Amino acid sequence: MNPVTSVKNLQERASEKKKENQKYSKVITLCAGTGCCASGCLSVLTALRNELKQKGLAKKIKIRTTGCHGFCEQGPLMVIEPENIFYCHIKPEDVPEIVLASLEHDRIIEKLLYKDPISGKTFTHEPEIPFYKVQDRAVLGQNKLVDPCDINDYIANGGYSALIKVLTSMKADEVIEEVKKSGLRGRGGGGFPTGRKWEYCRNAEGKLKYVICNADEGDPGAYMDRSILEGNPHAVIEGMLIGAFAIGAEHGYVYVRKEYPLAVKHAKTAIQQAEGLGLLGKSILGTQFSFDIKIARGGGAFVCGESTALMASLEGKVGEPRPKDIHTTDKGFKELPTNLNNVETWANIPAIINNGASWFAKKGTAKSKGTKIFALTGQIKNTGLVEVPMGMTLREIIYDIGGGPSNGKKIKAVQTGGPSGGCLPEEMFDLPVDFEALAEAGSMVGSGGMVVMDESTCMVDVAKYFLNFLIDESCGKCAPCREGLSRMLEIINDITEGKGTEEKLKLLKETAETVSIASLCALGKTAPNPVLSTIKYFEKEYEVHVKEKRCPSGVCRELIHYYISDDRCTGCGVCLRACPHNAISGEKRKPHKIDKDKCQKCGICKEACKFEAVSIV
Amino acid sequence: MKYVNITINGAKISVPEGITVLDAALDYGICIPHLCHVRGLLPIGACRLCIVEVVKNGRSKVTASCTLDAQDGMVILAHTEKILKARKNIAEMLVARAPNSRAIQDIAVRCGVKNVRYPFQNKDCVLCGRCVRVCGELWRSKSLGFVGRGTERHVALPFNSRPEFCKKCNDCINLCPMTITPCPGPMKEGKEDFCALCEAQLSMEKDTPDTCIDCRLGEGFDCIRKSF
Repeated sequence: MNPVTSVKNLQERASEKKKENQKYSKVITLCAGTGCCASGCLSVLTALRNELKQKGLAKKIKIRTTGCHGFCEQGPLMVIEPENIFYCHIKPEDVPEIVLASLEHDRIIEKLLYKDPISGKTFTHEPEIPFYKVQDRAVLGQNKLVDPCDINDYIANGGYSALIKVLTSMKADEVIEEVKKSGLRGRGGGGFPTGRKWEYCRNAEGKLKYVICNADEGDPGAYMDRSILEGNPHAVIEGMLIGAFAIGAEHGYVYVRKEYPLAVKHAKTAIQQAEGLGLLGKSILGTQFSFDIKIARGGGAFVCGESTALMASLEGKVGEPRPKDIHTTDKGFKELPTNLNNVETWANIPAIINNGASWFAKKGTAKSKGTKIFALTGQIKNTGLVEVPMGMTLREIIYDIGGGPSNGKKIKAVQTGGPSGGCLPEEMFDLPVDFEALAEAGSMVGSGGMVVMDESTCMVDVAKYFLNFLIDESCGKCAPCREGLSRMLEIINDITEGKGTEEKLKLLKETAETVSIASLCALGKTAPNPVLSTIKYFEKEYEVHVKEKRCPSGVCRELIHYYISDDRCTGCGVCLRACPHNAISGEKRKPHKIDKDKCQKCGICKEACKFEAVSIV
Repeated sequence: MKYVNITINGAKISVPEGITVLDAALDYGICIPHLCHVRGLLPIGACRLCIVEVVKNGRSKVTASCTLDAQDGMVILAHTEKILKARKNIAEMLVARAPNSRAIQDIAVRCGVKNVRYPFQNKDCVLCGRCVRVCGELWRSKSLGFVGRGTERHVALPFNSRPEFCKKCNDCINLCPMTITPCPGPMKEGKEDFCALCEAQLSMEKDTPDTCIDCRLGEGFDCIRKSF
């Protein structure tokens, strides 16, 4: 590739690529994000390539393998352009039919269309699907348009035009002013105003400055940053370029976890391509501005997502946070002014510069602007990545986009913000999703995890799960987090085993408060949130565990018993044969019984029974 | 030398620029309990006993005073109800971890712990990191280091044997809170009971928590009373 030395060069390249794309009569966009790869999109891709080659259509039809589209549950999925026909759950066997029907004869294959589980209607075109309809996919929507491994694709879609605008017509202060005006706030969890952070870093003393992209996403169930870095790495690079220009930095790092091999690969390819074109390196686009990006791979420690721990890890030290009384924008990486932003924050920048601050500020609430990507998971019908304007209510996200409960049970709570967030009950689903409203309710937007739980979930057990996760991930440097969390787990274990007392419950609360007040870093300060929020909203469940020694949801093993109802049991003997512990006895065609002493509460009998005679008390 | 004016617990004091809030308080005889802090070593803010509230624009923020540089006009509240409660709870956790250390017992008593509600663990280290830091920073020896993460964190020698570059300075032992002559009282393994009957508590005034009570924390504990 010839390097791009001027703005004109880049524009020429964009129109060239556009012309090239127009040669194809159809484009098949096949999602090759991690989710779809897991459900088998790569074999579909091979089948598709072979089929097109066999039929001699390879020059007429383009296959674009893209990053995650968000609707991972329906994968592997494809969109056929220009008609925007959406096919899901594709198997390699379907490929010949797809090629024949929709590509040669413009026919639609009914069985591959998406069927809405609520209304039962089928939808042909992608934008009509209820899951997508309510969303505003400003950032995530680009994933569908570009091949992450082809920089020309990104350029043809208007990529790097924001960089051109900044380099040719804006001063650094103007860029910062624009970002400030947009109201963009950090998408990694803290919600600190991005423009202000840039300004602090720009005004910090020192000539050498750094910008860092934090892609060390570690919340269980969250994969927003991963999908952006895998699907549209150039947006992140462009964002970093603009940020570096505004701050006056010459070097950048992308800190990405090693557990995201595809993200590492795509980011690497993207950086190499950008370097090849001269969009990274010395005197970019013929200006005075120079910037390079290196990739650093994290070892998978959750705490390294915390900015100071991340910088320690980058320096080659143990990934432990340090006190933040002096901000990282003054003394960060190598004690030099450093500006660290999350992947999603960086990816938002090009659009803000291109469309203007007011375009961005129009969306959202008074203090939280723009759109935010959430990883919607749990016991709901539609799971995947959703991008909505800030201020949408939890109910809209869970019911309108998520489609409500997956198995007919009532939805009980939603856990937002990952392990540092809290659980909000159904009564609070009308809360708008913005930084302040959720924080006030004892939870947080966080990096954007959203786990929906129905009646079959025990909230004490949920708190226990997150505590276990956080104890594993606590670095152990400061006493409240290290000691406090394990003490809290001790108490919660006692409660779930029927050894809880009211004093212990009080102590649990007190310890949680101490940890949240006194811990050194944000991990410790927010670690008690799952416990505190479940105590706040589901106190009754704790009380039932403590006072009545029973688990109302039937989850905590020590507190439940399996029981066969005499009325329903037909004496078929299936459970008797299924029980691995010989705990069930009974004669044929007569009600069976479970020996409580022998029963290990594995639940196999309940699953085996066809008459729903086994129940938990 | 340049001086800055700060207020700690209502007392207006003038301190040299660049000093930490904890050092400033100790110099002026205001007692803020602390464990991992050693004057002359870089502060790490690990034990969190020295937490204080910093009031700024009517809003207060809790932070450790050992890592907080004194800045002109700073208003520090070291003994608010919120701080005392959290500090007491941290001390309770520390003494539950290592109940047989006289130093930790004294700190706990000092912070108002009367009984310990957590099960005792009988560990012989509270991970304050005094030994690791004196070895690495003062003697440039790095014979000691932290190993493991979270609940597995512990202090260890390289490959668990004393390295050749150890300078045998003994400072790791001198500074260790666990080496202060332990309490001969009722702390027997398996029968731990925190009695809180040391002289430290007897002389403690609940209403004046910042009064020095001569808690005999040994030479390693940097306190104004160590010269007595």
